[in-house]
Amino acid sequence: MVTANLRLGRLVRPTLNRHLLLALGAAVVLVAISAQIGAYDDYNLTAVAIFAVAAAGLTLLTGLNGQLSLGHGALMAVGAYTASLLLKDHQLPVIVVLLLAVLTTGIVGIVFGYAAARLRGPYLAGATLTLAVALPQLATRYKSIFGGDAGLSVPPSAPPAWLGADFPPERWLAWIALAAAVVTMVLLANLLHSSVGRSFIAVRDNEVAAALAGIDVARTQVLAFVISASCAGLAGALFGYWSGVTAPAGFGLGLSLQLVTAIVIGGLGSLAGAVWGSIVLVFVPTLTSGMASSLNVPSSVANNLPLAIYGAILVIAMLAAPHGIQGALTRLLALARTRWGHSSASGKKGVMDWDDPAPNP
Amino acid sequence: MLEIVDLTVAYGPVMALHGVSLTVADSSITAVLGANGAGKTTLVRTISGLVRPRSGSVRLDGRDITRLAPEEIARLGVAHVPQGQAVLAELTVDENLRLGGLWRRDPSGQRRALAEAYELFPPLASRRHLAAFSLSGGERQMLVIGRALVARSRVLLLDEPSLGLARLVLVQIMARIKTMVHERGLTVLLIEQNAKSALSVADQAMVLHLGKVVVQGGAHQLLSEEGLRHAYLGF
Amino acid sequence: MSRFLVLTVNGLTQGAIYAAMALALVLIWRATKVINFAQGAMAMFTTYLALFAIDHGAPYWLGFVVALLSGLVLGGIVERVIVRPVESAPPLNVVILTLGLLLFFEAVAPMLFGGQIRSFPPAFSIVGLHLGNSQVAFSPFDAFTLGSVLAVMILLLVLFQRTNLGLRMRASAFNPEVSRLLGIRVGRMLTLGWALASLVGALAGVLIAPTFLLYPTFMDQVLVYGFTGAVLGGLDSAMGAVIGGLLIGFALSYVGGYLGSDLETVGALVILIAVLMVRPRGLFSLQRLREV
Repeated sequence: MVTANLRLGRLVRPTLNRHLLLALGAAVVLVAISAQIGAYDDYNLTAVAIFAVAAAGLTLLTGLNGQLSLGHGALMAVGAYTASLLLKDHQLPVIVVLLLAVLTTGIVGIVFGYAAARLRGPYLAGATLTLAVALPQLATRYKSIFGGDAGLSVPPSAPPAWLGADFPPERWLAWIALAAAVVTMVLLANLLHSSVGRSFIAVRDNEVAAALAGIDVARTQVLAFVISASCAGLAGALFGYWSGVTAPAGFGLGLSLQLVTAIVIGGLGSLAGAVWGSIVLVFVPTLTSGMASSLNVPSSVANNLPLAIYGAILVIAMLAAPHGIQGALTRLLALARTRWGHSSASGKKGVMDWDDPAPNP
Repeated sequence: MLEIVDLTVAYGPVMALHGVSLTVADSSITAVLGANGAGKTTLVRTISGLVRPRSGSVRLDGRDITRLAPEEIARLGVAHVPQGQAVLAELTVDENLRLGGLWRRDPSGQRRALAEAYELFPPLASRRHLAAFSLSGGERQMLVIGRALVARSRVLLLDEPSLGLARLVLVQIMARIKTMVHERGLTVLLIEQNAKSALSVADQAMVLHLGKVVVQGGAHQLLSEEGLRHAYLGF
Repeated sequence: MSRFLVLTVNGLTQGAIYAAMALALVLIWRATKVINFAQGAMAMFTTYLALFAIDHGAPYWLGFVVALLSGLVLGGIVERVIVRPVESAPPLNVVILTLGLLLFFEAVAPMLFGGQIRSFPPAFSIVGLHLGNSQVAFSPFDAFTLGSVLAVMILLLVLFQRTNLGLRMRASAFNPEVSRLLGIRVGRMLTLGWALASLVGALAGVLIAPTFLLYPTFMDQVLVYGFTGAVLGGLDSAMGAVIGGLLIGFALSYVGGYLGSDLETVGALVILIAVLMVRPRGLFSLQRLREV
């Protein structure tokens, strides 16, 4: 145990430093940006951060560990409802609410993760699909607790006094969300480079080999699920603050599929890709609604355009560019490197090497 | 006549076959020998269309079939019997056999061919309506060869038919194949690791090593010349 | 009628529809090893097409035929154009592809047909039949539901077990490579498999639309329940799928009747997880058979 920790320490510390530095840099830049932009843009920035947190967890689960979950929208609902219920009668500091949401969703993740630990591929997808459709029904069933279809309201978090009386609450929320996103990214990035992260990848690539190497496969699956669920819970709680209301309609199958779209766009397993995907998720609806109103398109078309686009993106991405944006960028980089004669190797490949055909003996 | 001209096959960066050339005459048996990984299975999979070569060509009676789909090559009369799992285990013996000739759309011809197959392989007849997974190794081999019969294939590509078979059964099957070659003008490419038994029925032989042809010639010659035998076949 | 009997009969008719959806999913799974998550959405689309025809003056039965035929065509096109290019890709890619189709169909339907909830006519009366003096909770439409699902299943059974075409389809599903070597045009068999599955899905759509009402996401539940049924029965087994679908129908009916209709999907989830924990490959899986 001691030697394992020492080895871990030597591996982690330089990476940790690097990640912390990057995070600090990113934080400074983001704070500066948020200070310049108006309330509406802060609102969008918050949304990007929220989706990025959820997508990061999901991309870890699906990209690194190979488990596809169609139920992360429902897990976000768990976080959101936790926040709503906590804030219903009490005033609690934001950090407490967020941590409790993470905890609750993490517990749900443990329960579901254990139940689903032996499930693979389509069986897991189907089980999480059922979760996605079933969980919102609980809210309607137990109306008295969860507020039924109308849902529960979430009071906004007031900026602390030391920021000044005029500090816009949207920017405060943006800061909270961005902080959460940065922290999540740092933690997940460290996880990726740790032995835990490697065990995720080992199990994804070859369960039997991983088990033979001494990895507890079931525990790895559950751990990956719990971590991703906790991210979803955090995102859900933030979502509650952001939208002001927590209702079952907002957390249906559509949300789970939007998260899948985000991680596919960004490239499975890529944390940076989770950010790209989230940016697309937030800005496509604004773009399409702007387009729709200027072209006088009926509302039935306008409202559904984002989802149609996401669907089309998923289909086209799978047909043409399975590695997503991050993968495409990585390949461009590799291409540039070879063009300029730096290396004859094929360059860094995407996390999932989908192109290499398995040779037939 | 089956002609393989300068065939080169690669899986990614791995070269499986280097410029392999071979001519298989009608009504003959050609043995393809060599150690594991020498490229024998790759050769056969390329002929039957499952694998695309990087360069070179495969000609059947003068017609270039190199880039045809496997099902089209099969319809030209080439039957590839792969190693191992060639039997459709969930289907019955009868269904397996019938599959061979379905594409011909010739019900009476099909019936005749089926009857012939049952005559040639009596154990199959008694298990006609049983699922194929209940057959023994030897019976499965009979099934796949019977299936090629029903398909009335002219070219038979057999990939290690001896695998998992008792010696007696193997001898029987080889004898049947030899009969079919003489009676029906069948052309056979026989992949084997068991060089001795292959050479005892073959007319011509070819030895592959690391994707290249190292020896090619009459089977009898290869069998009788000790130097060649020791060097390339280990006995 | 006693409550239990009513729930059982209800479970049977609903179960028949879930069995149909389960069968559609298993047909595609057996042929291409893909779970078509868009199956429900495609059925929704064909049901909308039927309603479109009916709205424009077509009699019900023409609309019914429109639904089934468009299902056939849609399934074939989707396989040939969209799924075929990725058939050799990792399964995760194909799943994501079908999810994309699901999103796409569910978004395009309201664009074309409007998003408001519509009612869909049943094929026959939904008023309970009269047995002697009392009225039973079984209507002519229920009889039609059971009958048509049964008829389709029998037709498919005959097709697969007794025809050469069915033989080729079974062979293609079991071992595409060997089938190719036998001269079978496996690609066409796959397209046909998807077309037939989609036909069955389309039937499920028109059968359940009168009860669930027609709106873009109305088939989500049917997909979930059909999938649960298919998984329960073991994805490899068509018979298992049908039994699984019926079991789910009964289970949901009892859960809904005794515990409250909002808990139905939760009930399905619990059942699914419980079964999969004990038998991760379903109740009737033929997996062991294949490993011979």
